[in-house]
Amino acid sequence: MDHGIFEEVNLSIDLRDVLITEVFATIEEKTEFTFVFDEKISSSKQPLTLIVKNENLESVLGKISAVTGFHFKKLNNTISVFKTDVPQQILRGKVMDTEGFPLAGATVMEKGTTNGTITDFDGNFSLKLSGVSTTMLISFMGFEEKEVVANNSGFQEITLINDTNTLNEVVVTALGIKREEKRLGFSQATIDSKILNQAVPNNWSSGLKGKVAGLNIISSGSGPLNSQQITLRGNNSLNPNGNNALIVVDGVPINNEMTASGSSSAYMGGDSPVDYGNGISDLNADDIKSVTVLKGPGATALYGSRAANGALIITTKSGKKSKGLGVSYNSSVSFDVIQRWPDYQNEYGQGTGKSFDSDGNPYYSYGSSEDGGNTGSTSSAWGPKFEGQFFYQYDPELEGQSEERQLWRPYKNNRKDFWRTGVTTSNNITLQGGDKNGSMRASVGYQKNEWIMPNTGYERITASINANYQISEKIKIGSVVNYNNRNSDNLPGTGYNNGSVAYFMIFQNPNIDLDWYRPIWSEGQDQIQKIAPFSSYIDNPYLIAYEATNPLLSDQIVGNIFTNINLASNLELMLRTSLNTYSQDREQKRPYSINRYSKGYYQSQDINKQEVNSDFLLTYNKEITKKLGFSFSAGGNAMTYKYRRTDASAEGLVVPGVYKLANGVSNPIITTHDRNKSVNSFYGLLSLSFDNKIFVDLTGRNDWSSTLPKENNSFFYPSVNTSFILSEILNLPSALSYLKYRFSYAQVGNDTNPYKTSKYYSQNAFPSSATVPTTLYNADFKPEITTSYETGLEARMFKNRLNLDATVYQTLTKNQIISVPLDITTGYSRGVLNSGEVRNQGVELTMTGKIVKAKNFSWSSTLTWAKNWNEVLELADGIDGQQEIGSGGRATLIAKVGGTTTAIYGYGFVRSPDGQIVYDKKGLPAYPDEIQLIGDASPDWKAGLFNSFKLGNVALNVMVDGQYGGIIYSQSHHKLTQMGKLTSTFKGREEGFIVGEGVVLNEDGTYSPNTTEAITPDWYNRYYRRANVESNSFTASFLKLREVSLQYNLPSRFLGNSGILGMDISIFGSNLATISDFPIYDPETAALNGDTILPGIEMGQMPSPATYGINFKVNF
Amino acid sequence: MKNIKILSLSLLFLFTCLACTKDFEEINEDPNRIAEISPGTLLNPIIYGLATHNANRAASITFDLMQVSVPFPSVSGGLHRYDVSQNIGNSSWYWYYRWLNNIKEMRLASVKAEDPNYEAIALTFQALAYANLTDIFGPVPMTEAVNGEEGNFYPKFDSQEFIYQSILADLERANDLYNPEISMVYAEDILFQNDVEKWRKLTNSLHLRLLLRISNRSETNAFQKLSEMIQNPVQYPVFENTQESAILQVTGVTPNVSPWGRPQDFRLSVKISEFFIENLNLLEDPRRPIIATLASDLDNEPIGYKGIPSAYDGPESQFEYNASTFNIAQVTNPMKIFILPYSEVEFIKAEVAQKGFISNPEEHYISGVKAAIEQLDAEVPENYFESELAMYDGTLERIMLQKYYALYFVDYQQWFEHRRTGFPILPKTTAMDNNGVMPSRFTYHTDVQINNAENYRKALELLGGSDDISTKVWWDN
Repeated sequence: MDHGIFEEVNLSIDLRDVLITEVFATIEEKTEFTFVFDEKISSSKQPLTLIVKNENLESVLGKISAVTGFHFKKLNNTISVFKTDVPQQILRGKVMDTEGFPLAGATVMEKGTTNGTITDFDGNFSLKLSGVSTTMLISFMGFEEKEVVANNSGFQEITLINDTNTLNEVVVTALGIKREEKRLGFSQATIDSKILNQAVPNNWSSGLKGKVAGLNIISSGSGPLNSQQITLRGNNSLNPNGNNALIVVDGVPINNEMTASGSSSAYMGGDSPVDYGNGISDLNADDIKSVTVLKGPGATALYGSRAANGALIITTKSGKKSKGLGVSYNSSVSFDVIQRWPDYQNEYGQGTGKSFDSDGNPYYSYGSSEDGGNTGSTSSAWGPKFEGQFFYQYDPELEGQSEERQLWRPYKNNRKDFWRTGVTTSNNITLQGGDKNGSMRASVGYQKNEWIMPNTGYERITASINANYQISEKIKIGSVVNYNNRNSDNLPGTGYNNGSVAYFMIFQNPNIDLDWYRPIWSEGQDQIQKIAPFSSYIDNPYLIAYEATNPLLSDQIVGNIFTNINLASNLELMLRTSLNTYSQDREQKRPYSINRYSKGYYQSQDINKQEVNSDFLLTYNKEITKKLGFSFSAGGNAMTYKYRRTDASAEGLVVPGVYKLANGVSNPIITTHDRNKSVNSFYGLLSLSFDNKIFVDLTGRNDWSSTLPKENNSFFYPSVNTSFILSEILNLPSALSYLKYRFSYAQVGNDTNPYKTSKYYSQNAFPSSATVPTTLYNADFKPEITTSYETGLEARMFKNRLNLDATVYQTLTKNQIISVPLDITTGYSRGVLNSGEVRNQGVELTMTGKIVKAKNFSWSSTLTWAKNWNEVLELADGIDGQQEIGSGGRATLIAKVGGTTTAIYGYGFVRSPDGQIVYDKKGLPAYPDEIQLIGDASPDWKAGLFNSFKLGNVALNVMVDGQYGGIIYSQSHHKLTQMGKLTSTFKGREEGFIVGEGVVLNEDGTYSPNTTEAITPDWYNRYYRRANVESNSFTASFLKLREVSLQYNLPSRFLGNSGILGMDISIFGSNLATISDFPIYDPETAALNGDTILPGIEMGQMPSPATYGINFKVNF
Repeated sequence: MKNIKILSLSLLFLFTCLACTKDFEEINEDPNRIAEISPGTLLNPIIYGLATHNANRAASITFDLMQVSVPFPSVSGGLHRYDVSQNIGNSSWYWYYRWLNNIKEMRLASVKAEDPNYEAIALTFQALAYANLTDIFGPVPMTEAVNGEEGNFYPKFDSQEFIYQSILADLERANDLYNPEISMVYAEDILFQNDVEKWRKLTNSLHLRLLLRISNRSETNAFQKLSEMIQNPVQYPVFENTQESAILQVTGVTPNVSPWGRPQDFRLSVKISEFFIENLNLLEDPRRPIIATLASDLDNEPIGYKGIPSAYDGPESQFEYNASTFNIAQVTNPMKIFILPYSEVEFIKAEVAQKGFISNPEEHYISGVKAAIEQLDAEVPENYFESELAMYDGTLERIMLQKYYALYFVDYQQWFEHRRTGFPILPKTTAMDNNGVMPSRFTYHTDVQINNAENYRKALELLGGSDDISTKVWWDN
C-alpha cells in the first residue's frame, strides 16, 4: 500500500450493515477518488459497519482492509481493489509477558472468526490465516486482551500486559455457575489437572494431598483401591462418617459412600473387611480438567445439605472450539515399591522365653522331642538366639518335625519376599474437535493394576463423552457421560484379622521360611487342609492370596444432559438431569480350613445404586446503571435415591473349592439392605455488584427430605457472601497491585439416612423370626444445622510475583443426627438423637511466589498451611459429659464437652505424683483403674510446599508435605512388641529379666524405686499390652516427599511436519521418602471399621509403597 | 408474551411438585425389615442367643476360674491365676441386656395377644438373664432397665435383694400362667418344640436354682420354700429326666449351628486342668473320653488323661508331656448346649435333703450323678458308686464335687455355686493373684462409667464396696 498521498484527505463516515459497494460509493462521493474493482469484490455480501470521524483516508482504508482483507492500490485518482489471492499466510510468533517470560496456553484468534490456536510450552504459535482478517486477538487468563495486526515479517513477538486491576480469573462455583474470582466472598482453591496428575495417581484424590490448605485426606491403606475420605476444615460431625466433603462431577453429586463386606470392625470380628472402593475412586484422572475446592458452607449453600462439609467440584475436560480433529494419546507405567518396613528383629527365634533344657539353656523343639516339650505352637519370638545351634524344627517335606536337628537360623526376608513390585499401566486416547457452534470430546482409557500383594489388582476401562452444541441461536444442549468399568479377580482383605495378610506379617516368626507355606495345601489334601505348621491363628498367606479371594465387577455411569435456553435478553433458563448409577457384583470366597470357616464360605453381594437429580435454574442479568450490576437466579432440584443390595451367603460348602450358593451345606442366608430417599429443594441467588469494586451475594435454600420426621422435614438456610476489592477502593502503595477482602456467613441444613424415624425389627436367620434392633429409632429429631463464618484477604504484590491468601473461619454444627452410644441397659447400644454442638475454628494460608522469572528459567513455589481448632461445645440432650465416637482395638475416640471429636482415650500407665511409672509387686507396670486422654488424632497443623522449576523445555515439580502433631495408636506395634518381633525388644533378653524404670507404691503411701525383676517377655507383654494406648501410641507428625516429576517437552522444531503437534515425556515418583517416628509402615493411616474410616488408629496396616513411573503424552 | 405465560405456568408446576412431600412417608418406609411381631417372633433368636452366649462364657471364663481347663502355654497372668481384667464382664453385660430387651418385647407382644404361655416363657428367660447378671455383678439395673424406647437412657441400679424378690415372684406367676390347653401356635421353638409342659418345668427348675442361690440369706426362708416346692410336684412340676431338661440341641443346620465357627479354637492353646481331670481319674469316670483327649509323653506315646495345674508357676518346659486337651466333638455340629440340666435339679434336692428339709439325700445324689453322666451321653458303670470318692458320704462337699461336674459347660453356674458354698475346694498356688482368693464378682462394663456415670456411682453404694472383684454380693454375705 502506498503511503502519504491519502493523508491530506479527512473523512467522517457513519455506515452500518451495508455492502462494500455502498462504502466505496460513499467515499467516492466525499473525495475525488474512484474505486476500481472486479466481480470478486462486488459480489461480497459481507455486511460492513464503518464509523469514522475526521480520519484520513489511509486510516479508513486500513480499517476496511482489517475487516474485509481487501487490499487497495492507488494510481492517480483511481483506487484499485484486490482480493488477496496470495497463498494463505502462516503467521508465527511468540507470546510473552512484560518480562519476556513465555506464556504457554495463550489463545491466538483471527479476529471475527473461529480460526485460532494456542501457544505451546515456549509461548510459540503458528496460525494459518484464513484471509478474512489480518487482526489477531491474543488473550491469556490474567492478562489484558491484545489486538495485533499481522505483519509480513513472518514472526512476531507479542507482549501481554498483566491484567492486575480486573482479575477476571473465572472459577466454577456451586451449580456449575462460572464466576469471576474477585466476586467470591469465600475461599476456594482450584487445582488444575496438570498439578493434580503430575504423579499419575491411581486414585485421583491422592493428587490433592498437600496442595490445598485445609483439605485432609485419610485412608486406611487397604489395598489397590484404597478408599479415601476427604474432609475440609476439620471434623464437624460426631459421626465419623459424617465429615466427608461432597464430590460433584459436572454437576452430578457423588456420595462418598462405601458398602462394607465382612466385619464391621477392623479388629478381629467376622470376615476381614474388604475395601471395594467408594463412589469417587473410579473416576479417570485423565478426564479431569480441574478440581475446585469450596471449603466452607458459604461456598456450597446452594448444593444443599450434602455440602455441609464443603464440596469438591470436578469439571471434566470438554472439546476445544478449534477447527480440526485433535487427538492425544497418553501412556504411563508406574511401579510400586515398598520402602518402609517395621524394624523386624532377626536375632531370636520362636518361643515363649520360658522353655529351658536341663542345663537351663533356652531350647526349641517343633513338636515334643528328646530335647523337651513342644515350643513350636507359640507365635512369639522370645525363643533361643540364633547362634549356630541345632534343634528339631519343622520339615516341609514331612510336614512335621524334622528327623534330625536342623541349623537354628533366621530367614531374614520371610516377610518381604511375600510382596512384589506393583505395576500399573494406563493408556488413554482422547479425540476432540469443534467449531463455533459446539465441541465434543471423547476419551477411552484402560488401566491395569497389579498390586504389591500377589494375585491382587484390578483392570479398569473408562470412557467419557463430553459434548455441547448450539442448536439454534437461543438454545444450547449438551451432555457429559463418564462410564467406568472395574474388574478385579481379587481385592485384599484388610484389618487386624486372621484373613488379612497384614495379620500374617505380624505373626510370622524369624526362624520360619516363607517357602514352607508356598504349596498352600497339605500333601494329598488339596482344597481340604491348608499348610499351617504353626499357630492355627495364622492363615497361610498364600491361601489368603490365591484361595480366599474377593472378586469385584463394577459398572458406574455418571452423566448429565442439559440445555441452556436464552428466553429473552438477560434471561436464561438451564434445565438439567443427571444420573449417578452403579452396579457391583462382589463375591467373597473362603476355602476349607481357613481360620474363620473350617468348611469354607461363600457370599455374593449384588449392589445397585441409582441417584437422579433434576434441576432447573433461571438466571436474570441486568446492569442497572453503569455502576450497579444485578443478577438473580432461582432454581429447584429434585433428588431421588435408590439403593438395592442383596447379600446371599452359605457357610459350609459341600464340595470344597466350588463357590456357588447351591453348594452350601444349608440354605443360603439372604439379607436385603435396600434404601430409598428423596429430597426436593428450592433456592435463589441474588448477586449485586457496585462499580466492580464491591460484590454481594445472597442465597437462600429450602429443602424437604424424606428421611426426617414429618413435622421437621422442611428446613431453610441462607447465606451472605461479600467481597471488597480494596485495591480499587483505597489508594494503596503500588507494590500492592491487588487486595481483596471477603466475608461470608452461611448456614446449611442436613438430613440423614432413611428409616430412623420408626421402629423396625432386624432380620434374623431363624424362620419367621426377628430381633429387636440395637439402635433406637427416634420419631421426632430435627435437621442438623451448620453455621459458618469466614473472612479472608487476598493480596497480589510486586507485579504478581507474590500472592497471599489468608482465611480465618469458624464453623458451628448443631443438632447433629447421630447414633449416640447408649448403655445397653437401656435395651439399645445406640440411639438416634440430635446431638450437641461442635465448633471448628481455623486458619488457612496460601502463599505463591514466582521466585525466579528469567527468560529461560523460572521457579515458582506455593506454600499451604492450615490449622484447625476443634471443640465439642455441647453433647446430646441429657448425655452426661461424654460420648463415644468410635473405637479400634482398645483405643476409643471420645467426645467430651470442651474436648475434641478426635480425642483418643484409653488406658495409660499408673504414674506417681512426679510422673514416674508405677509398678506392681511383680515388677510389672500397674493396671490403672480408669481410661484417660492419651492424645488427639488430629494434627496441630498441616502444610504443603509445591515447587515448580522450568528450564527451557524441562520442568521439574517437587511436592513436600507434612503434618505436625496428632497421635496414632498402633495395634501392630502392640502385637509385634508383645511377641518380641521388633529390634526394640532386645533389652533384657540375655539377662532374662527386666527391672522396669519406675517406682512402687509402698503400703504407707510413699513411693520407692522399683527393684523387682520381671521375666522379660512378661514385662513386654504388660508394658505394651493392647489396652495400654499410651505405650502403643506415637506422634503422627511426618514429612513426606510426596511427589517429584520431571517433564520434558519436545520442542516443536523437532517435530517438523510429522503431524505431531506436541509431545512430552515425564518421569515421576510419589511417596518417595517419609520422615516419621511411626514404627510401622506409614503414619498416614486409619482404621477401616466396615464402612467407617476412623482416624488416629492403626489396625493391621498393609505396607504402603513408593511409586515410580514414566508418562508419555503426544498430541496430533 | 405467550412464551412467558407458558414458562410461568410450567415453573409454577415445577415449584409445587418440588415442594410436595406427600409420598415421603412411603419412601421412608423400610423395605427390608418388619415393623410388627407376634409373641413367637423373637423366641428362637432369644433361645439361641442366650444359649450360645452362655456356652461361650462357660468356655472362656468359668473353665479358667473353676480349674476345668487352663490356657497353655500361659506365660503369666490369666484368669486361672485370678488376673481379672476390667472388661471381663463386658460381653455378658451387653448380651444379657440385649436379650432382655427382646424378652421384654416378647412379653409385651404376648400380653397384647393374650397368650399366657409365651408370656410365662418370657418371664422365665427374664429371670434367668437377670439372675446371671446380678450373680456376676451384684446390683444391676432392672426396674428402669430396657426402657430406652420410653426415653430412659440412664436406668438406676437395683439391689440384688430386690432383683431376687422380683424374679422369684415372676417365676411364681409364670408357673400360674402356663395353660397346656392353649397350644403354642407360632414357629416351633428350638428348645422344647412348643411343649408347654416342658417350658413349665424349666420355669420351676429355675425357680429351685435361684432359691438355693440365695439360701445363705436366712431371712429369705429359701429352704422352706424349696422344700414346699419339691414336695408339691403337681403345683410345681420340675424336670424328671435328662430328655426333658433344658438342653439345646444344636442341629448344625443354619442358623442353629455351633457357636464355634471354627471348632479348633475351642481347644487352641488350652489344656485340661489337673484338678478337673485328676478327680475324674480317681473316679475312673466314663465322662473322660467325651470331655478330654489322652495325654502323651515326649515320644508321643499315650499316658492316659493328664492335665496341667491351673495357675502353675515357672516355665512350661517343666511339664515333660503333652497334656490332655478338650475333645473337639463337644463343639462340633451337631452339639448340645446345657441351659439347665435335670441333674442340677437332683443336686438341688440332694442339698435340700442334706440340710434336712426333705428326706433321702443319697437318692437324689445318686440320681444327680447318674443324670450328669447321662447328659454327656456316657454310660454309668455299675460299680461307679462303690469307689470311696463316688459314694455319698453325707457331706455337702461330696454333693458339690459331683454338682461341679454336672454343671460342666453350664454358663457361670460352677463359679456361682463355688462362691455360695466354697466347694469344690480348688488348689491354690503361689502364682495366683488376688491373694489366691476366688473373685467374688466382676467389675461393671467399662462403658457404664461413660454412659451412665451418675447411676454407676449410686450402684457402688448399693454394692456396699468398691467396684472390684473382691466385693461380695448380697447373697454371698
